[in-house]
Amino acid sequence: MAGRGELAWRRRPPPPDVARRRLKPLRTVVAWRGRAEWDQVMVGLYCGDSRLQQEALDRVSAWKSRYGPKMPLAVDCTAELIRCKVLDSSGKLRSHELILSYGLALVRFVNLITERKQKMVSIPLRQLAREVDIPIWVVDLRHELTHGKLPQLALCRKGCDVVLDWLRKTYWSRQLGNNLCEESEEEDEQEETEANTEMDSDTWEIQTPQHEACQKHKEFHEKVRDVLVSYKNEQFRVMQTVQSVSKSRELWSDSSSEVDWILAQIKDLMQENRETVAEVLLSDGFLIPTVECLKMLNIKYEANKEILQFKIPQTFYCFWRPLLTGLLSRSFTQTLIEKMFTELKECSDSSELRPQFLINWISEMLTSIARVNAGKKRRRCNKRIYVKELFLHKVPLQWMRLTDNCLEAPCWATPHLLQLILTSMKPRLPRSSRKNLLYLTSVYTEGGGPLSSPGLSSDCSEQPIYTIESLQWRARQESQAKSHEPTVERQEGVLGRHDGEEEVEEEEEEMVTETNPLEGLAYSDNMLAIAEKRAVLQGSAWQIIADEVQWKDFPIGKLPGQTDDPDGLMLDNYSMMSLLDQPARDEWKSPTTNSAELNIPVTGGLLWTQNDFHKIKSGLQLF
Amino acid sequence: MASGAPVTAPSRPRGRCHSPVTAPGTLSRPRHGALTRRRRPPAGGRRPAAAGCGSGRARRWCSRRPWRRRRRRRGRPKAPPCCSWRRSRWAPPGRGHRRRLLFLLLLLLTAVSSQALTFTGKCRLTCLYGAVRVLGFAIASHQPGQQLFSPPTHCALALEALPAEAQPVADLRQLREEPNFAPEDAVLASVGIVKCSPERGLLVSESMFSALEELVQACCAEDEGVPVIMVCGPKSVGKSTFNRYLINLLLNHLPSVEYLECDIGQTEFTPPGCVSLTNVTEPFLGPPFTHQRMPRKMVFYGQSSCEQDSERYVDVVKYVFNSYKKEVPLVINTMGWVKGDGLLLLTDIIRLLSPSHVVQMDVYDWKAMAPLTPEHVHLAPGLYTKGKQQPKCKQMDASGAEDWKPPEGEKDALAPEYKLLYVHPEFPRAGVAGEASVLRDMAILGYLGQLQPPDIGSVLPLHSLVPYQVPFNAVALRVIHTDVAPTNIMYAVNASWVGLCRIPDEVRSQTDGPVLLTQTPVCDCLGFGIVRGVEMEKKLYHILTPVPPENLRLVNCLLLGNIAVPNCILVSQQGFEGEIPYVTSEYNYSILGSGKLKKKKHFKRREYTFPCDFT
Repeated sequence: MAGRGELAWRRRPPPPDVARRRLKPLRTVVAWRGRAEWDQVMVGLYCGDSRLQQEALDRVSAWKSRYGPKMPLAVDCTAELIRCKVLDSSGKLRSHELILSYGLALVRFVNLITERKQKMVSIPLRQLAREVDIPIWVVDLRHELTHGKLPQLALCRKGCDVVLDWLRKTYWSRQLGNNLCEESEEEDEQEETEANTEMDSDTWEIQTPQHEACQKHKEFHEKVRDVLVSYKNEQFRVMQTVQSVSKSRELWSDSSSEVDWILAQIKDLMQENRETVAEVLLSDGFLIPTVECLKMLNIKYEANKEILQFKIPQTFYCFWRPLLTGLLSRSFTQTLIEKMFTELKECSDSSELRPQFLINWISEMLTSIARVNAGKKRRRCNKRIYVKELFLHKVPLQWMRLTDNCLEAPCWATPHLLQLILTSMKPRLPRSSRKNLLYLTSVYTEGGGPLSSPGLSSDCSEQPIYTIESLQWRARQESQAKSHEPTVERQEGVLGRHDGEEEVEEEEEEMVTETNPLEGLAYSDNMLAIAEKRAVLQGSAWQIIADEVQWKDFPIGKLPGQTDDPDGLMLDNYSMMSLLDQPARDEWKSPTTNSAELNIPVTGGLLWTQNDFHKIKSGLQLF
Repeated sequence: MASGAPVTAPSRPRGRCHSPVTAPGTLSRPRHGALTRRRRPPAGGRRPAAAGCGSGRARRWCSRRPWRRRRRRRGRPKAPPCCSWRRSRWAPPGRGHRRRLLFLLLLLLTAVSSQALTFTGKCRLTCLYGAVRVLGFAIASHQPGQQLFSPPTHCALALEALPAEAQPVADLRQLREEPNFAPEDAVLASVGIVKCSPERGLLVSESMFSALEELVQACCAEDEGVPVIMVCGPKSVGKSTFNRYLINLLLNHLPSVEYLECDIGQTEFTPPGCVSLTNVTEPFLGPPFTHQRMPRKMVFYGQSSCEQDSERYVDVVKYVFNSYKKEVPLVINTMGWVKGDGLLLLTDIIRLLSPSHVVQMDVYDWKAMAPLTPEHVHLAPGLYTKGKQQPKCKQMDASGAEDWKPPEGEKDALAPEYKLLYVHPEFPRAGVAGEASVLRDMAILGYLGQLQPPDIGSVLPLHSLVPYQVPFNAVALRVIHTDVAPTNIMYAVNASWVGLCRIPDEVRSQTDGPVLLTQTPVCDCLGFGIVRGVEMEKKLYHILTPVPPENLRLVNCLLLGNIAVPNCILVSQQGFEGEIPYVTSEYNYSILGSGKLKKKKHFKRREYTFPCDFT
């Protein structure tokens, strides 16, 4: 039970509102921009004023375009019937013509609505109508319209009104949360399954059934969270008392009773479920900082990126060290590192904070373990402060499992991490296996070559494992270099204009920027791409403007400053344009086309009969 | 050499030949090919089991052919800057998609075991030694890596080892020292692929083999003019898979093949709803959404089926076909609509495009489609064309026309002349039951993947990208599939999928309002976009599109069809206050009338449920 709950949790890692979101009903795409538009159309259609009705009908025509073949039947039928009423009240049609239009609208309504209820064996319309509460005489009217004498206009009008009323009651006033009548939930099974299949394509969110275990798990999760939050708050409080980051680092390293107490709490929780503690630790805001966290700790992450390759920012390290040192027992270390690899596997994108920090934490822990296991001294940081180690005692780990985990989460840093594992591994793998494994990993992660970490690069690139390999490798490198040339050139040129230093960096660490770009660089890159596009578009009607609009704050279909006013997109002026003869068609028809080989029937037997009709037809204006 | 000879064929049941077209594949590799031919005098003769499938003939035409046209991989000119879409952004956007490129190191597989590996999953294949063939395309060791996509929804890809030259013994010994790297399941899984049974993959049936053989031969023969190959058959019978195999196979020999896409529902290289002509120079080893490419000519038809306006469909096909220059072989894909009017339309299309070969695919029920022999097509009526009638007595009815024999000499003037090839595919097919719309959405997502900035690993949400803007009166606008009241047209346009087209007419307007076309033009489509927003005050459209700016500046017409922005794009937008336009969680599908119009199923009448024989 617990296991199942856990799985459900693992599938989507952090956002804390996962559980809440899962409870929300399925989201679907509809044709109206929002509630206001829906209400406006419903009121318009049923208001009785033919001008407003016409406006609503016009809007429905736009809905029809949006929905395409997925237009809800009820909306379609309502619009058709209202259209008849508008025509009727305009006084432009005679009664016979009106009967025809009413008739078609009614027939379509009865057939389309009841057809949805049909089973494999057809059921008489009357029976279906009874089931869904359509008056029987309306069904009779339909039969009369299709098979019998045309009925009187009065009867058609009455039928239309009754049916419109039925639609309002059954569809319009129940739809979109207007659900006043819950009792009709027991729609028959087929409708249900149909609705489901429809939803399959129309919905996106996955609905997972709520399990009790899941609930429990959630509660436990929350508990761990709370404790960790209290730890964070405590550390921040300490920092505020001294107002200086470097001082607070020292303070953090001295244990306080407050921290000890928190530690004890977490250890308690750990007894209960180690996995979940690791899970929460690795959710956003704890070991993986959010941007706000970094800001509060005054860590300029982007700027430090270069130096901090595989290292956790100093301050952040000190912030969490007391907690980690307390927690990292032998078994928990294993769990945590494994968990980190699992999380790393879930990360799709290496430029975000999460994978960065995961990689850096793993690297930190592994190097620390290596140092402790080798009995070496602590590292020294440039500010004369001894940074305390994460581990106080030797930690034997299940190295093979770690190796497996590492290989299961391939990313750009895998060769480095693997090397760390392989060097501290006990018992060691044979040298050749290590070498081959590292080499294959570097091929596998497509880093373009073994990672430039000392001691390793020379080994691998000089001594090929397979005799044909070096040739292939070079060939591939060459072809890759060729295909990348334009981009690199562009980047470099662009950077040169901007900032000389970055250019150097670009050349030195090509691999790193390729697989692992800085967010800031990406942003400026983006700006430059836009500038380039703008230059190309110079003089055309198309423009691209890199203004200060935060596009990410506005969903598709909404622009900055746009309100939810349902009339917001109404046009007051437009012009119509009819096309001159379509050149394509003429070209084809003219005997001078390259028809010599095409076997086009020029004269005789085969004739294109309807082309002229088509031209007239398509020239017609419907509005 | 001995171990390199394939031993797979005997294990294939029912006389199927699994790797029948090996010889052309082997020959394709410029260097190796030449070597192979010299060293192996009877190319097909070493493969006893394959002989039954006509490898004898394969040998004949292979050894005779003086391969003049070779596939030049290195020497091909670089794509011009405007073709930056070629940087194949194959991973569709979306949170769950990991964009790892994986290498499959085929070591023992190619060198020693020489068996086929059928798999699902995705990987990047670099051949380190020897040569393999995937979906008809031969990849030799000197060639750059290829991305392979084999989703479980489609016919699985299979790697077949091609017979290699004599193997350096030293290498082999070294390889054998690494027992870990046999294609064991665990190793494959870590690469991202899962081995599956060969039945899931493409089994080349005998009929398919002989058809392919004939087509390859026809395409490589340069004396008879370039062939125009039309592939037709009912839906999800495997037309696309056949096309992929055929084109990949042809690419082993030719630098390029043209592809005319007439199936607007399931397009190969473009988003759905298009008729397009594409020059194929690279193999395509996966489903359509993994290889969206810019075609040479494209028209946005605007719907995923053409039943409602088949006349414009024919116009569109004509227009696109017109830009085919007859320099390289053409493969034409047709729609799976072969019943009723669909068959008539197909007859029209055959008459119109006058192919040199028609490949008719059908499974078991031959009745789904009458054999499209030239004689049949000659006489059969089309939807817009008439069948051949006797000129003297026009009053003769249709049944009489069957008996009528044309006099000698007059026959070839109008009768279509093509070779009909039947293919009975024996492989799993894509797009079964309800998947069609999902595949369409995938194609759109694949296309939109090109919008992602190239160098960032992350997938940016579409709404966060900076859109282009264009004034209302600079581009004409037309809704293809339905009539929308002009005053409300922006309600249809906003947040919709639009074709970015170019009409020859100059768009002129006295006002600053939008310009609405009165008819649907048949015009070049340069790409697609999403109308990100409509600015009513400044009268601007904001459009997100991967169309490169140098093409975009030519766009003067927006066409709106019933191809919709995939729901997941709208629904998965996150991080806003308030409602997301067009997205609601309150719409209740279980209320009667909330669903769409279903295609009429064939309801049985009550009386038919009890079988009774009236006869």
